[in-house]
Amino acid sequence: MNDFPELENELKALRPARPSPVLFERIEEAMVENCRASAAADAGWSWRRFTETPYRIGFALAAAAVLLLFAAISVERQRQEDKEVAQVSPASETKAVLPAFSGSSVDRSMSSNKFVPAGATQVVYNTRDEGLQFADGSRQPLRRLRYQTQQTWQWRNPSTGASLRVSYPSEEVVLIPVSGQ
Amino acid sequence: MDNIASHENWKSCFSEIGPGLLLFARQWTRSAADAEDIVQEAFVKFWRRNHRINNRALLYATVRSIALDFIRRDKRRARREATVFADADSTVEPQFEWEDEAQSALAAAVSCLPHEQREVLVLKIWNELTFSEIAGALGISQNTAASRYRYALANLKKSLQPQ
Repeated sequence: MNDFPELENELKALRPARPSPVLFERIEEAMVENCRASAAADAGWSWRRFTETPYRIGFALAAAAVLLLFAAISVERQRQEDKEVAQVSPASETKAVLPAFSGSSVDRSMSSNKFVPAGATQVVYNTRDEGLQFADGSRQPLRRLRYQTQQTWQWRNPSTGASLRVSYPSEEVVLIPVSGQ
Repeated sequence: MDNIASHENWKSCFSEIGPGLLLFARQWTRSAADAEDIVQEAFVKFWRRNHRINNRALLYATVRSIALDFIRRDKRRARREATVFADADSTVEPQFEWEDEAQSALAAAVSCLPHEQREVLVLKIWNELTFSEIAGALGISQNTAASRYRYALANLKKSLQPQ
């Protein structure tokens, strides 16, 4: 492949001029200056350096601690909300069964931090016939029906517009007398 | 080879590659002082960025990039260099330490080569880069680098033949 081996050897024998000794000093100075600049930069914050050093372990621990703190605060806040709901619930149940559950009956004199009932639903999603049975001492059979429902209660704070909804499953057993005719 | 930043004796490292680097930088400058400025900037930049010293293609690409910036920074210089490149008689001459007339003639012949061929020749002969590294440094294909090298040798051979 190489057609010019002699010429290449001659060229290699030709030595390029060496850099001046001053160049070494200048490069050394530039490097020292650069080191100083880097040291000054080290005092500042560098994300890359930060993530490449063992500090990231500390950072991860700190982040985990912050998350735990937030989680603890969140749980505590949730407990407080549960307490508030429990306090509000009796009133809402009372209101819910009242026919005047519509807007006109809402007690507008309530303080701004109180929730007023805003709705209640009961959805029967399953009915099971569990057969006939005789109650103690009774000669009339009773049909035992089990209703599975989902009940939902809603409250609303008229002053803030905040709403609260509680939904839970429930079961109800109903005994219906069966006529012998 | 080591990372240049952790190279304790960078001077020995530089004394090994310095002449070749300087010769390469001379392809864009008329004076050795300008070439030294370029080499200094490139070497320190390369060192600062923590590149590995065996990434020679990147080192020479850095020299080339800084040399081109150097020319662009000074438009008057750029015009002068353009004039220089257009005129073969006053082409930028790499400085060599020749010992006899034959070497002097060879150095003169090298300086008369077209710039793109001389660039490849300088990297191949005096910096001992592979064609792959030359291609990386100059941003050309490996085949182009090899072909420019062959043309350079052929032109040299032709110009050195007795008339």
